[in-house]
Amino acid sequence: MKALAAYVRNIFETVTTIFEGMSITLSHLVRRPMTVQYPDRIDKPVQETLPLRYRGILEVDMDICTGCLACERVCPITCITIGIDMNKETKQRSFSHFDIDICKCMYCGLCAEICPTGSIRHSQEFEGACYNPAGLVRHFVTKPVSLYKPKKGGETDPTMAKKAEIGQKYLDEFATPEGPGGAGAGEG
Amino acid sequence: MQQFVDQLIQQGYFAGLPKEVVYAVAMVLAALVVLSVFVAPLAGVTSWLERRVWARMQSRVGPNRVGPQGILQWIADGIKNLLKEDIIPTAADKVLFPLAPYIVFVGFLCAFVVIPFGGSLIVADLNIGILYLLAVTSIVVVGILMAGWSSNNKWSLLGGMRSAAQIVSYEIPAGLAVLTIVFVAGTMSTQGIIQAQGWAPWDWFLFYSPFTFVAFFLYFTAALAEGNRTPFDIPEAESELVAGYVTEYSGMRFLFFFFAEWGNLYVIGAVATILFLGGWQAPPIPWVTDQPVLKGILQFVVFFIKAYLWVFVSMWVRATLPRVRVDQLMALCWKYMVPLSFVCVIGTAGWMVVWPHGNRWASIAMFIIGVIVLGVFGKRVGFQIRHSRPTLYLKPYI
Amino acid sequence: MSEAAAPQSEVFHTEDMTISIGPQHPSTHGVLRFVVRTDGEVIKDAIPDVGYLHRSIEKIGEKCTWHGYVPYTDRADYLAAMFANQGFCMAAEKLGSTEVTRRGEFCRVIACELNRLASHLISVGTFGQDIGAVTPFLHALRERETINDLMEEICGARLTYNYIRIGGVGYDITPETCGKITVFLDHFELIVDEYNRLLSYNKIYIERLVNVAAITKEEAFQYNLVGPNLRACGVKWDIRRDIPYSVYPELDFEIPVGNGEKGTLGDCYDRYWVRIRELEESCKILRQALKMIPKGPAISKVARKFKPPAGEAYVRVEAPRGDMGFYVVSDGSEYPYRVRIRTGSFTAMAIIDKLSRGIMVADLIALIASLDVDAPEIDR
Repeated sequence: MKALAAYVRNIFETVTTIFEGMSITLSHLVRRPMTVQYPDRIDKPVQETLPLRYRGILEVDMDICTGCLACERVCPITCITIGIDMNKETKQRSFSHFDIDICKCMYCGLCAEICPTGSIRHSQEFEGACYNPAGLVRHFVTKPVSLYKPKKGGETDPTMAKKAEIGQKYLDEFATPEGPGGAGAGEG
Repeated sequence: MQQFVDQLIQQGYFAGLPKEVVYAVAMVLAALVVLSVFVAPLAGVTSWLERRVWARMQSRVGPNRVGPQGILQWIADGIKNLLKEDIIPTAADKVLFPLAPYIVFVGFLCAFVVIPFGGSLIVADLNIGILYLLAVTSIVVVGILMAGWSSNNKWSLLGGMRSAAQIVSYEIPAGLAVLTIVFVAGTMSTQGIIQAQGWAPWDWFLFYSPFTFVAFFLYFTAALAEGNRTPFDIPEAESELVAGYVTEYSGMRFLFFFFAEWGNLYVIGAVATILFLGGWQAPPIPWVTDQPVLKGILQFVVFFIKAYLWVFVSMWVRATLPRVRVDQLMALCWKYMVPLSFVCVIGTAGWMVVWPHGNRWASIAMFIIGVIVLGVFGKRVGFQIRHSRPTLYLKPYI
Repeated sequence: MSEAAAPQSEVFHTEDMTISIGPQHPSTHGVLRFVVRTDGEVIKDAIPDVGYLHRSIEKIGEKCTWHGYVPYTDRADYLAAMFANQGFCMAAEKLGSTEVTRRGEFCRVIACELNRLASHLISVGTFGQDIGAVTPFLHALRERETINDLMEEICGARLTYNYIRIGGVGYDITPETCGKITVFLDHFELIVDEYNRLLSYNKIYIERLVNVAAITKEEAFQYNLVGPNLRACGVKWDIRRDIPYSVYPELDFEIPVGNGEKGTLGDCYDRYWVRIRELEESCKILRQALKMIPKGPAISKVARKFKPPAGEAYVRVEAPRGDMGFYVVSDGSEYPYRVRIRTGSFTAMAIIDKLSRGIMVADLIALIASLDVDAPEIDR
């Protein structure tokens, strides 16, 4: 008798749980799907929706780079190569090359954190695929650029001020020991 | 169809040719028409629909780029598979390996002989219709075993063996469920079974008695098992055995197996409709059913919708349920389904002794119970939609 | 299913089949290989073959600075990257006697518990898929996508976070993000309930998993299992409770333990069910942490060239796959002398051979999935 009860209970449980499962999948059939049909059927490009902290491909603003080589030293995988020349007559130092191998880059953010002006930072770009590995080395020095000297008391030139502001805004995202770091942080 | 050809001969179209030659040519033409106009696009569109339905049940969008809403995806897949390299493993059996997909295909295609498309649209109305259908769909076992063995691959062999055991075992509940209906209808001919039912739901054999109601679900489950569909798809789509007996196949041969599987879904649905859901019996709409052409179209549409509903249900079941293990599959068949189908057969026989012409009140009561069950299901679906909110939209562009 | 038959004898002559599951197989546990010897369907032994994903992460530790090694720890188990980060940072802080700010500790807890949710979602999703139910996997991944979006807002990356740094965390969590996490949690608890009704209570699923490969308490101790695998055998052991670290003593949560309600204690269903309940517990922890998070800096002052004094430290964190131990030796320079990572998946591989005797091939797949082994963790 117990065996018959177990038999009937098995059948009953099977039917009811299958019933429940099928109602769930049917309910999903009429809901909106979660897929984002990138890249052609979306409202605005994905890059515009990513937060400022997003660690995409590295970019360098050479105009505010001071040439301190901190990023090259801190990179755990040595993907940044910087060369600085000294012009003997004018005693001016300028960059000869600033290469980042985005193939090796770990996207860890250590170089961006340590930069004093925020010139090297992660952009929102993530579409870096190309057909040959040589294209994966980004060269940021196209013409000789002299090193940037940050002026005391703020920057007077408006274009340079804007660049310095963008760099500083990026650096504010990181947490600092001084106080509440990050935009708008301070409350739980 | 035979009367149609006889009419043409009488009208003098094929003067001079012996009757057998005309028949043979007519048969080949009929097979060609059914295959290319109906079966091939149907199997292709079923594959597209399955991918779309599956995807929507999984909160994603299926193929929707090739053609409007992706409806030409199956043509793209077919062309791609035709262009692929046809790999035959060196150690595979040279004769059996290429032959296996064709046997599976033939086994499933022969079923279309007795499936009616409308009131008088049937290739051959054999008076052993259903028996012929059950017999001919068993040819696929031979094909699957050939595929599994001739691949010279241990995984394929395991898959083929399991599939053979599965299909052969599930013939029995399927056959017994069919037998229940044959009792009630009194004939094995498919047209005869349909004509013994009416167009109204309470005249269908589904609601004839509680035993036929249970027999329907037994038949559907057994047919899913015969078609190697989840929850019984152990032989083919395992996460463990790569792809079971189709592992070594590539290109069009690979696609033949799946072509047969998707087409088989329609055969399952069609047989379920013929036996239990009243076939092509359409309600008598005043100005449509008077004219033969419109009536034929209406019956075709009614049959197609009823059969395709069950195709959708099998896709739905595939998206929902996990797979049963081989020994549990056998236990399910022999311990649960076979005794239940015997009970159904004996019960129906008893019902027919008590009420030889059927009990209309019982049918209507069963129909009302069925509607109530559907209503409860619909309410449950509504609960699911309200309970866990639809997907969360935190990003601005979703 | 014997291979050949001797026609005249009474007993059939049978041969065993030796089949190789992997390293390429459609199961998302990573590149693993098992050499399985079966007699038809029943397995005689299953010998694991590991090392396909070995990347010498421990050796790399000797070449990188202390700060620079933290991104590498992400890759030790990329599905549970926060915990590896935390383990290494805690070991470095122990060696260097660095204090972590209180807000930093709470940020760590929030990030870790979010990562635990993501990792367990993958675990239960792929478990369903190995058994044959394909839909719950996609539903679990859909929820994990939202968690990835939240992590993107917190630290800028979706998988390899490099968030937990020595002395605190790298980025602060804004109140806006905290609001989004709360919205997500309200939605997620209902989703777990729906997931249970779709998969966990399904009779076919239960029949596949109960009484399969039950592990007793003694076996679990012998084979040194940790994490949900150990808790499913009835042992109430959780590093967050028993060797507390961070701010876990202040948070109120339960340790789900298997109780064999559907079958034997310690079978595959128990291991699965413990993970589902841990999802709910992590939601509880997250809500409390979000309420209790104090104001203040998120990282304390740590030297750029971090040089802890010579010594050794062994730190354990409760990762989703068990107790992840970091044994770090410092010799006073700015590079670690030795970093050794002890992971739960590596020890779980050992028990597979013992448990697989006498079960079927389909059960072996369920067993591997239930132990939640993860190739990057095994091979590092």
